[in-house]
Amino acid sequence: MNQDPFEGRSVIQFSDERDRRAFLKYATLVGVGGSLAAALPIANVLAAASPSPSPSGAPSASGSPSASGSPSASGAPSASGSPSASGSPSASGSPSAASQFGAGDVGILNYALTLEYLEAEFYQKGLAANILGDDEKYITPIAAHEAAHVTALTATLTKLGATPVTKPTFVFPPTTFTDKATFVKTAVTFEETGVKAYHGQVPLIKDGAILGAAASIAGVESRHAAVLNYLAQMPPVPNPVEQHATMDETLTAIKPFLGA
Amino acid sequence: MLNSIWNRRSFLGRTAIGAGAVIGGSTAIELLSTTRVWAAAEGSDGDILNFALTLEYLEATFYERGNATSLITDSREKDIFATIQKDEEAHVQALTDTLTKLGVAPVAKPTITFPAATFATRESYLKLAMVFENTGVGAYLGQAGSITNKDILQAAAGIFGVEARHAALIGVISGATPEGGIYKGATETPIAKADVLAAVMPFLGGMPNTGFAPSQQSLTLLPTGLAIAGAAAALVAFRTRGSRKPQQ
Repeated sequence: MNQDPFEGRSVIQFSDERDRRAFLKYATLVGVGGSLAAALPIANVLAAASPSPSPSGAPSASGSPSASGSPSASGAPSASGSPSASGSPSASGSPSAASQFGAGDVGILNYALTLEYLEAEFYQKGLAANILGDDEKYITPIAAHEAAHVTALTATLTKLGATPVTKPTFVFPPTTFTDKATFVKTAVTFEETGVKAYHGQVPLIKDGAILGAAASIAGVESRHAAVLNYLAQMPPVPNPVEQHATMDETLTAIKPFLGA
Repeated sequence: MLNSIWNRRSFLGRTAIGAGAVIGGSTAIELLSTTRVWAAAEGSDGDILNFALTLEYLEATFYERGNATSLITDSREKDIFATIQKDEEAHVQALTDTLTKLGVAPVAKPTITFPAATFATRESYLKLAMVFENTGVGAYLGQAGSITNKDILQAAAGIFGVEARHAALIGVISGATPEGGIYKGATETPIAKADVLAAVMPFLGGMPNTGFAPSQQSLTLLPTGLAIAGAAAALVAFRTRGSRKPQQ
């Protein structure tokens, strides 16, 4: 299914104003999403794998008879796609770079993991550079959040029986970690990109549990974006609703930071 | 009850999963275990939108009254509060339009009352603003798994993110502790509808015909192709009307 309703236009250009036609087209595309109930097998797997006392019970969760069958992650055929396909790093130059992550929720999680890897490394280096002064107190927790997101997404993918993407090699412009203003502005860009990226996937996630988890991360990215805009003296709430971007738009936006 | 909403600790304490999302402890299991809240059926999309509309009415009225005072004096802070008020008003309008397009009667604006002390000082204003915003964040997140229409889900998520921005900004303006005040951990925590209603009910003096019993409104929601298309158009109108250029 074509998930690039904006015909390749860059997320940067297109982030603030979207025309009616594009949105309607998008709405049409997302309107066909599957039901949340399809996700139950994965939720059960996670519950069963949990160390907390959650034995085979969970009878209510598996309410849909067809969902109880296979305890493996492949129980949701539409969501499983080809997890192993995520390994190929070569696809980044193609018009549909998103395909490198594979199909379904696993693909979305690996896409999110890539973004979180980028953010985590960025903040880690920013804090290590010791350039933030009074703003450091606002940014230290953000660094911890991004690291926690990496951990959580990796563990989730592993529990699903999928292969988490390996951490890419990132490159940052030379002044990123030597000048506070540059760092904060770059942080704004990353956070706004992250917010749009998560919101772009919200209607596409099939598993209810993964949807909830992704949304709970997206909200934190929104907090980050607001605070960093504030620190950068930029409008901290640019729109009354969060905007959204496709995978391809996002990958185009972050491509300059992805090394060979 | 009034005490409990003024006290964040006790408020979060009432939500069973409130303590789950601590930094560093955010493993996948914990992250996904919070979905117990999402798994609970919370009513039809129309019910959820009316629930959200009530919260937005409360927030919009709160800022309309608070911003009419002189409690916030710094020009940048005033700008932020004005923006937040406009956002909440835009949310009210968008939800009302969407409900109408869906063929569901929007709830009437409740009678909203605030304790006399609410707008007495800058601190009291900021404190309740923090509570409302963080409650709104949890409330929207708590509904995420129950929304069936993808367009409505997209829009609700979009509002949710903006409420999170508001919460963080009010935290910054309040001089709150970064972790635990401005941020609430590495993941947001959903709050069940019943808990949200219990928290906000003290401010809702009268709710005529709000139909909060889900069964009253589920039947009138008919997600036919026509209604969905109309709802999408309402959301588009909202986006178009609501877009802001950078203010600088």
